[in-house]
Amino acid sequence: MLQEKYKTEIDEILSRYPVRRSAMLPLLTMAQREEGYVSEAAMKEIASILRVTPPQVYETVTFYTMLNLKPIGTFHIQVCKSLMCALVGSDSLLVWLQARLGIKPGETTPDRLFTLSTVECLASCGTGPMMQVNDDYYERLTEEKVDRILADLKRDGTSPLKSGPFILPEPEGAHG
Amino acid sequence: MVKLTIDGVPITAPKGTLVIEAARQAGIMIPHFCYHPKLKWDANCRMCLVEIERVPKLQTSCSTPVAEGMVVRTATTAVTQAHKSVLEFILANHPLDCPVCDQGGRCDLQDFSHEYTPTTSRFIEVKRIFPKEYFSALIETQMNRCVQCLRCVRYCDEVMDVKALAPAGRGTMTEIKHFTHHELDCEFCGGCVQICPVGAITSRLSMYEYRPWMLKRADTICTYCGDGCQITIQTKENKLIEVNTAHGAGRNNGDLCARGFFGYHASTHPDRLQHPLVRRNGELVQATWEEALGFVAETCIRLKMEHGAEAFAGLIASRCTNEDLYVFQKFMRLAIGTNRIDSSARYGQINGVRALRRVQGTHRWAVTFEDIVAADALLLVGTNITETNPITGLKVKEAVKKRTATLLTVDALVPAVGTISNIANLAAHHFPVHPDRFGHVVLGLIKAVVEDGLVDQALAHRAPAYVQAIGDAVQALSWPALESATGTTSGALREAARIFARAARGVVLVGQGVLRSPGGYGLTTNLLDLLLLTGQHGRPGCGLAPLAEENNDQGAVEMGTVAEYLPGPCDLNDPTARERIAGLWKEELPKGPGRTLTETLEEARTGKVKAMFVVGENPVGSLPHAARAKDALAQLELLVCQELFLTETAALAHVVLPACSYAEKDGSFTNTEGLVQPVRRAIEPIGESRPDWEILSALSVLMGYPIEYGDAKEILKEIRSLIPGYGLLGAGPNPPRPDEAVVSRYLREGYAEDLANRYAATQPTEKRTGHFTLLVTQSLFHSGKFSTRSTGLLEIQNTGVLGLNPADAARLGVTDGDRVRVSNTLGELTAPIKLLERIPEGLAVFPEHFDEEARRLLGVSTDPQTRVPYCKSAQVVIEKL
Repeated sequence: MLQEKYKTEIDEILSRYPVRRSAMLPLLTMAQREEGYVSEAAMKEIASILRVTPPQVYETVTFYTMLNLKPIGTFHIQVCKSLMCALVGSDSLLVWLQARLGIKPGETTPDRLFTLSTVECLASCGTGPMMQVNDDYYERLTEEKVDRILADLKRDGTSPLKSGPFILPEPEGAHG
Repeated sequence: MVKLTIDGVPITAPKGTLVIEAARQAGIMIPHFCYHPKLKWDANCRMCLVEIERVPKLQTSCSTPVAEGMVVRTATTAVTQAHKSVLEFILANHPLDCPVCDQGGRCDLQDFSHEYTPTTSRFIEVKRIFPKEYFSALIETQMNRCVQCLRCVRYCDEVMDVKALAPAGRGTMTEIKHFTHHELDCEFCGGCVQICPVGAITSRLSMYEYRPWMLKRADTICTYCGDGCQITIQTKENKLIEVNTAHGAGRNNGDLCARGFFGYHASTHPDRLQHPLVRRNGELVQATWEEALGFVAETCIRLKMEHGAEAFAGLIASRCTNEDLYVFQKFMRLAIGTNRIDSSARYGQINGVRALRRVQGTHRWAVTFEDIVAADALLLVGTNITETNPITGLKVKEAVKKRTATLLTVDALVPAVGTISNIANLAAHHFPVHPDRFGHVVLGLIKAVVEDGLVDQALAHRAPAYVQAIGDAVQALSWPALESATGTTSGALREAARIFARAARGVVLVGQGVLRSPGGYGLTTNLLDLLLLTGQHGRPGCGLAPLAEENNDQGAVEMGTVAEYLPGPCDLNDPTARERIAGLWKEELPKGPGRTLTETLEEARTGKVKAMFVVGENPVGSLPHAARAKDALAQLELLVCQELFLTETAALAHVVLPACSYAEKDGSFTNTEGLVQPVRRAIEPIGESRPDWEILSALSVLMGYPIEYGDAKEILKEIRSLIPGYGLLGAGPNPPRPDEAVVSRYLREGYAEDLANRYAATQPTEKRTGHFTLLVTQSLFHSGKFSTRSTGLLEIQNTGVLGLNPADAARLGVTDGDRVRVSNTLGELTAPIKLLERIPEGLAVFPEHFDEEARRLLGVSTDPQTRVPYCKSAQVVIEKL
């Protein structure tokens, strides 16, 4: 239960807002950080903290693609499918990823290592195609780079290929 | 007022009116999906675009308020083109399944499509398809049909305050769901079904059974509670198909509750009695009307010869129409010759009426639903109002949510947000107290009024002795004692008293938790004292509103079917009234005494009463076993029941006569606010059943005292000549003003007689540890005597489940669905439990409609003044099974 574990943090979050239900997104983020996704139990608990009904929490969760309603794998791969990335080949990248992982967007590999999702613009339009894995950006992706990233993640839990997000102008030597 | 022009028509509308409404009032219909006059505008469907001069782009007329000199055009090429585009986008996804859609024939999308769109679409893409999910046993969703106007979601939140519907997802993939994949768990008011402009949300009770144009309609009044909602019963070939109500219609203004919307099948339940039954050799066997009535008349004449008229008594249910009630009392008084009459108004309604008559000389509210909505401060005592009077509850919600009234509540339940209304959630001050201590909170409020100088100056001037006497009485109470009894602080009570006293308009609503509990009459009188002291009495829009539980409780009192009243209601021994009524009836009134429900049962037990007429009432099934109603009725030489079903009481009868339900007869009901409304026949009588008044009329003829009428209207005509307020049916309520002479008499001396009793803060019996207070209360899904025969309502609730606080349950080591044994010295029952946060620790709540077992545990006490039997709570021990 969130309330038992994070009492002070929850109180601090609630203190930030004059209207109680405004604290919904920070609490949902907290719940997702805890379990990797927002569980039904968490939604009910947040509803009771905010004095709203569980359907009101649920509708909020379904609106934001960053909030997961199902348990996800260790690495959550979110591929940008917006226009800019699509122009530079995000669709073929996605096909490649699907073939490598053996799953479709919205699914998780049987070893619970990878979850694949497609998302809207991640604000890295100059460096597409790109994807976000957990909190890290991977940009200017190629099939070869993707294979290296997947292998790194499997082996080390991280990959030296991660980058940005960049603040313009791009740092020296960012092109690689 | 603002002047504007719509389509060349000059229009004047109040400031703030939306263009769409101004147009509607001028007879110009602007197409729309998401707009609804009940809801805040959302402007999400874009269907209501109009052209406004000097505004460069088209504007949504649902969100644009009128402005001086505005020139609006609703039928230009640009507007029509916009309508077409919106429809083309909606139809890009909407399936062409009108032939199997229940909305077909009354669908906004269908109508607008006919009006605006070409028959072909430019879209070649595959339509959006949602996987079909089971939504609930009563409400069907077909999300492929949804136009995403969110009217259902907004209605559920803004009007009902339930918030059970969630628009899940975003954009075109938004669908209406409850909570993830869970089945809908809500109040089942049916509002989403009624407000959906297309066939996305429909009722499963009538699925695939009709086309709107096949249905015959009858506007009538719902019988499930005292609110008196107007419903339209829709029938096909004498079958009940569905019930709905139109926006703007009736006191409910188009809103209903689960009972009204889904409870209609009770009238055509297969167990309905179709023929008269007469007891032969100990068995009830089918008989003809001639045989049955002949037998009753003959036996009555014989018993009257042997024992006199005082050996007879009558009991009638408040579910009957005014016409039934009126003829019943006239039959008992003239054909039989006794005043031993009582009705189910005795269970609680009479407490409210007696208090109102005593203090302000009216038998009705001096306020209306509109006054509740317009109040600045509302005090609710002993009622989670939605459960007993859902639509009055909506008025309270509207007052708080839309008009920012301050709500003060005194009830056993505690605030807890869920998808079933809990009025305490909306309260500015809620006093959660044990049900036997509501009176202590009210005493605390009065004490605060007196001590903090909140007493109305005019009253202090008018009745110094009264103010002094009450002042002395509350001074004698100590704050620490009140604080410990109520578990609240004197500060909170003072604050609440200040809010109520300072409000421009204050209304007190008092519910079953007071009216049906020990001390109910005294406490209701105290609430009138509170109103008087704070100056919230006698002014328009202020006053006390005791909530009627049954649909015609108020009518039962006014028709004189209670022990103490003649029609009017006039006191039984009032010589002028007796003379007037006798003059009209051209017959002397009986001189004998009236007898209340419990007194009648006692007299039956001792053999004083030999014969009883019971119309629709079921004392054996309503009173606890401790009242021994069954033993009493078994002593009778003649028990005649007029019933729809073979109830526990009817099963003991010598003759059972099949009566019509409200859906099969004409007449009128008087609702809780004293409004008389017409009841209209929707279907032909089931089997050989007849309206109650007709049966009594036929009997009177056989007994040689003919009380005859051609139809219900003729009875109403006679009622009109005798009882004020029965003139125009269904007209807006015209509440009586308190009778100043009676108020003065009360302030002079009337208050004194029981003052000491009413203002004594009796030390509440300390609960023994491990003991629970069992409360048998009405649930939102069942009321009256027929709801348990309604297939729809049984789908929502069909068993007695004991509600417990989670902490108590944890202590007992039980959780949702586990069974427990509940017992006391009178008996025991076993029941599954449900954990509910709204129930405070130490309390266990059981629904009265499934209380067959629970009634063993309850004792009965009677009010010393009003003889109301109190039998809704008991001290019990709960153990894990």
